[in-house]
Amino acid sequence: MKTAPARQRGVEHDIVQIPLAGETAPYYEPQGNEVAVFEAAYKRRLPVMLKGPTGCGKTRFLEHMAFMLKRPLVTVSCHEDLTSSDLVGRFLLEGAETVWQDGPLTRAVKAGAICYLDEIVEARTDSTVVIHSLTDHRRKLTIEKKGQEIDAHEDFMLVISYNPGYQTVLKDLKPSTKQRFIGLNFDFPTEEIERKILVSEVPGLSHENAHQLVAAGRKARLLKDHGLEEATSTRALVYAGSMIVAGLDPVAACQVAMVNPITDDPELAEALMEIVNAHFAV
Amino acid sequence: MTSPAIRTLLDAIREANSDLLLEIEAVLPAIRPHGEAVMLDWISACRTLHDFDREAGKAFTRFSRDAEKISETVLPWTRQALQIMRWRHSWPAIEGFMRNLPRAFGSLGHAGEERWAAIGLAWCARSIDSGCAYFATPVLELSGRGGGIAAIEQLNAPAEELFETRKLQLSTYLPGAIRVRNLLGAQAVLPWAMRGADIMQSGRTRGEAYFRLESEESLALLLENMQGYKLADRNRLLGILLEVWFGEGMELKEGNWSPEKGRPFMEMDGQSMYFPAVMGNREEAILSVLHAAGHMRYGTFDRAAMKQMFAQARLDFPEEGPVSWAPLFMRFGEDAMRFQLIFDMCEDLRIESRLQKEVPNYLQRLINNARATLARHPESAEYYDLAVATAEDALHALRGQPVLDARFAPLYQPGATLADAYRIAGEIFAENSLPRVTDGEAFAAAFLPGRGPNTTRVAHPQDNPDEDSQSQPGAQEENQPDEQGEDENESQQESETGEEQEGGEQQETAGTGDTSGSARRAENRPDGQQTGRGPADKGVPYPEWDYRESRYKKNWSWVQEKRLGESNTTETNRLLKQYSSALKRLKKAIQSQKPTRMSPKVKQLDGDEIDLNAVVEYVSEKIAGRSPSPTIYRRREMRQREISVILLADMSTSIMQHLPEGGGRLVDRIRAGVLLFAEGMEEVGDNYAIAGFCSKYRDNVSYYNIKDFDEAYSQDVRSQIGGMSGRLATRMGAAIRHATKHFDRVESRRRLLLLLSDGRPEDYDDGGDRRYLHEDTRMAVKEAVAKGVHPFCITVDTMANQYLPQIFGAGHYLVLDNINSLPNKLPEIYLKLRR
Repeated sequence: MKTAPARQRGVEHDIVQIPLAGETAPYYEPQGNEVAVFEAAYKRRLPVMLKGPTGCGKTRFLEHMAFMLKRPLVTVSCHEDLTSSDLVGRFLLEGAETVWQDGPLTRAVKAGAICYLDEIVEARTDSTVVIHSLTDHRRKLTIEKKGQEIDAHEDFMLVISYNPGYQTVLKDLKPSTKQRFIGLNFDFPTEEIERKILVSEVPGLSHENAHQLVAAGRKARLLKDHGLEEATSTRALVYAGSMIVAGLDPVAACQVAMVNPITDDPELAEALMEIVNAHFAV
Repeated sequence: MTSPAIRTLLDAIREANSDLLLEIEAVLPAIRPHGEAVMLDWISACRTLHDFDREAGKAFTRFSRDAEKISETVLPWTRQALQIMRWRHSWPAIEGFMRNLPRAFGSLGHAGEERWAAIGLAWCARSIDSGCAYFATPVLELSGRGGGIAAIEQLNAPAEELFETRKLQLSTYLPGAIRVRNLLGAQAVLPWAMRGADIMQSGRTRGEAYFRLESEESLALLLENMQGYKLADRNRLLGILLEVWFGEGMELKEGNWSPEKGRPFMEMDGQSMYFPAVMGNREEAILSVLHAAGHMRYGTFDRAAMKQMFAQARLDFPEEGPVSWAPLFMRFGEDAMRFQLIFDMCEDLRIESRLQKEVPNYLQRLINNARATLARHPESAEYYDLAVATAEDALHALRGQPVLDARFAPLYQPGATLADAYRIAGEIFAENSLPRVTDGEAFAAAFLPGRGPNTTRVAHPQDNPDEDSQSQPGAQEENQPDEQGEDENESQQESETGEEQEGGEQQETAGTGDTSGSARRAENRPDGQQTGRGPADKGVPYPEWDYRESRYKKNWSWVQEKRLGESNTTETNRLLKQYSSALKRLKKAIQSQKPTRMSPKVKQLDGDEIDLNAVVEYVSEKIAGRSPSPTIYRRREMRQREISVILLADMSTSIMQHLPEGGGRLVDRIRAGVLLFAEGMEEVGDNYAIAGFCSKYRDNVSYYNIKDFDEAYSQDVRSQIGGMSGRLATRMGAAIRHATKHFDRVESRRRLLLLLSDGRPEDYDDGGDRRYLHEDTRMAVKEAVAKGVHPFCITVDTMANQYLPQIFGAGHYLVLDNINSLPNKLPEIYLKLRR
């Protein structure tokens, strides 16, 4: 494991990284009791499930918690082709012999990291099954291909996230999987908290702009039932704020960060721009 | 000095008609300067015309003074008037001619007047009715504003041709043509007339209605060519905006404005808002819609405030029913418009001060837009400017800055009501500082773009306008008929079974308007009612959930599975053609998603399994001393056939409605959607069924199996889709239960029940208790989920957000607010769901 004094950018480093003393915690603004719940779950090493819409702060929360708990965080973004070997590991050929290479989940189990399976429903079902034995009292990972089992490191913790949108009706997690987790519901933060987030995430953003962005964002979220697959996220607001600070006109910044990416429907885009204009253009 | 000839003539007239003489003598001094000969000619013209027709003679004499004054001639127009006399029954033409004469000389000049008269004479020669219509039309209307004789010629040319070819009377053509020219410009008249000529060919009455701008098609043509922002086309956007700023429950409808009614305004009545088809520009339209919603939301129709206002005016306020605003203005008599303008301004200021807090920068937008509009009507410009100034004051007040005009200040307070606006309007009216307005055009021009008269419609007072959006069910619950009511219904059912069935059947047939001319498969028509009601005909019983008792009623709803009675190959082919490009795109998209190889991919760098052949090759090469690439895995990418889906379409009467934006009926889109879905499914290869349902009473729920799971997608199925139509009601729960049961026959891990709907669950026997079938449907959905079926509802009912979340759960429904997108969206949604 690398223990470089400060993280360098543009340099490979291992996925298992313990937070270093002297680093500042990733910014996170608590919205409710989620920190307390997570800490309690961590104390008992219970697996946690984060539910909520895209861009509302699930990943950031976990980064923050991992830092506060001083545990390395191993994030796996799940996708349709993700198989159990992608998680657990596989044999590779190296020269004349085969070499076993641990997958990220195995690495996390051994190192006592927090393993975060982002958007778990996207993965194929066989990969959701391998986590079963890790999520109950056994806390074991079975490596079928090697015929081995690993008892998880005592600090190991599993976290999954999923986004209950309509795209996933058929891909819902099996109830047997779901009920092994502590569930934490996330939603977009309240107005006040969202303003705070914007101001801290985008240094240099004026309070007035933050106020306008948050107000516009809340109105834009009301359009969700009109064909938007994803509502305007806090992340999009942060992006819009960043574009404003970078010198772009606020209306243009909102258009490129909050309108163009989420819809191709000209009428919806017009309605979104109407909201933006109302808040910014005079 | 009067010559003997004239004296003799006058004496003769005196004997015949002393009235006329008086009139002649009154005008004579004006004619005298032109000389004896002219006088003589003129007097004898008076007499000749009078002899021809009393009215004509009198009109000639009476209007001569003005004609002489403007033209400074007598004989030219005297001769023209005499010419008109050639035709019988031409006195209205003479009167119109004389009445218009001064204007004709004034605005067209001598040459122009001559041409104007010549055109009129030509029309008299064609048909005296047309001639009369021509001369009766004020010259200024004919020539448009400053158009001169050229404009009249331009207007006249198509009419002449239409008369020659179609015998179209000028009286039919002229009023419409003038309106078209005024609204759309001179260049629009000819195409409009040509279109009319074509319509004329297909039927005289229809054509005449077109020219009189009375028919739908001419109005549509007018609106289509109108300049400005077309609100009817942007209905969806406006609806979205209302929802964004005001939440749900704002009802927006198209009003009855038509171009000749002058400036378009939004209207509201406390229940709905009505938009005109066209408005000046986008900004004005959006400001107007928000403004109108402000009135609805912030108490313009609040019962208590209205009552207080009527009390101030010492008028009776009706306890029930709609309320007319008229009595409030009537007491101001002729000065009513002045008061109304002041009152509207006060109320608008009050509303906009509230609105500004909800919709940021509303007032700034209103003011900027009002300033950019330069046109003012001279009579009401003062109102316009005062409106701008007070709107700025409102903005100052909201920012805590001092206001310039203290009279309006109380209106900027959040607690102000309609009654305050009325009181303040009365005070300002009493000051008498604003000019009187009498002209309708000036009145309309006094409003800032975005505002408008608030009291054009009869008001429906609202008891609590701030909460009206949430008062949907609830209140009705208490007085619902309970179990007893159901029993009654039931016994009624039993007794009149036969008739009911027939009645239902009739309605079914009535609902299928356009299946005529197509192959109607009568042999498959359900004929249960003829053989009475054996258990087999009664269908399959399902329980129904009664929320009032929190229990299931056993064997309550009966579902009869049938084949669809109608099919329509023509419609299917038409739809396939209409959507052929969409279909092509869809198939392409599916093909690109589909793995082309059914067998596992071999020789992969990684994968789920070892590719044995590759390994052997690898090892042997290795041993041979080479360094082969380690591509020894196999990856499986099987085609997923593990999903089956039923598309269940709501076939209630409501799908027969015409789309508000025109372009056919909802059922057309549904047919197209189902058709594209089926074509897409063939491409995807998933196991699917298509069904429709409708109901009349609990024991008569029809489930039309259009395509079953194992059935081939044949031409017959295609035609049945083309023959889908709406009938009866929507007992959704029973249909869902039946469809769920249908899934028993198929073995697949993922089961999707795709429900296509256009409204809430309802049936004839729900006693108006919406909640009953809602709750039952909710339970049916729960049961389906428990059986491993995923119900997903796609609806085109924009109010569906109020009930679908409870029934299907968040994320398990989709509201398509753009009905036209349904055909394309339906397969897309499915593909997304199965991903």
